[in-house]
Amino acid sequence: MALLDKYKELVDLAKQYGATVSEEGNVLRVKGEVPSGALKDKMWEIYDRIDPNFKSNDLVLDVNVNATEGGKVKVITRESNLNIRKGPGTDQPIVGKAAHGDIITLISKANDQWWLVRDNDGEEGYCYSQYLEPVR
Amino acid sequence: MIKYVYYMYCLNIKLSKGLTNKKQKIMKAFRLVSMLALILALGVATTSCKKVKDADVQAAAQTALAANPDLSNVSVAVLSQVATLSGTVKDDAAKAYAESTVVAVKNVKSVVNDVKVVPPAPDFTAIDAALNAGLVDALKDHAKVKAEVKDGVVTLTGEIRKKDLPTLMQKVNALNPQQVVNNITVK
Repeated sequence: MALLDKYKELVDLAKQYGATVSEEGNVLRVKGEVPSGALKDKMWEIYDRIDPNFKSNDLVLDVNVNATEGGKVKVITRESNLNIRKGPGTDQPIVGKAAHGDIITLISKANDQWWLVRDNDGEEGYCYSQYLEPVR
Repeated sequence: MIKYVYYMYCLNIKLSKGLTNKKQKIMKAFRLVSMLALILALGVATTSCKKVKDADVQAAAQTALAANPDLSNVSVAVLSQVATLSGTVKDDAAKAYAESTVVAVKNVKSVVNDVKVVPPAPDFTAIDAALNAGLVDALKDHAKVKAEVKDGVVTLTGEIRKKDLPTLMQKVNALNPQQVVNNITVK
């Protein structure tokens, strides 16, 4: 109950988008999909404000942006290029690069972490999903 | 034994004939006692006829329990045909099942269910393996951060720049661990 109070602002926002909120032991778990990258960023801002530098170790915030296969995604690296790899994993060879800010096509999701994309040169490969944000 | 008591009873009736009122009253009371003795004797005779041995009932009950692997840690002790269950099971359903199994055993009058429910410790082997695999990718761009995984809990150490911390935390949280323990020094 204490954790639900502590993160009330975040929990209320997450629940608006149908996220599941559960308390297990001394950890609050918020899991779900939100419609935009801005909302995800907002949730992380709230988290960082309530618990500066995420030091309390009492929240798992597993919220991702709802991405449609066949839709467009934006490369949201800090400034560098995003590697496009032959397979889903950083051990896979790099087959191409997408520039920061590029908008490319999401073909399919191999798993939660790795998405198959097609860049604007027609090159296909896998990118780390945390650096991709769906655009509408 | 029954015959003997009945004989005594009949004898009483015979003796009571031709006695004074007072004596008749005493004899009536005596007859009543004899009747009770008869009933009691019948009762004893009925039960002793079957000769139920608790040890046999206990063995049968233990065998019935052994048929279910979920009840392998349940023991049964039978005393005067009352079965007492002890030991542990993984959930309430198994506890109830242990009781119904033993109730169904022949010559068990009742069951005292002292079985304790102890949920098994979850197996994190697969979860930890998946987290370790995911962390290789998640930490790739954060060379100074290290991670350890145990029982679904990811512990992060090392150092990071403040502006990269949310990115790292988002990557680690997206692996859906049980908990993230953040011991990173923020520069």
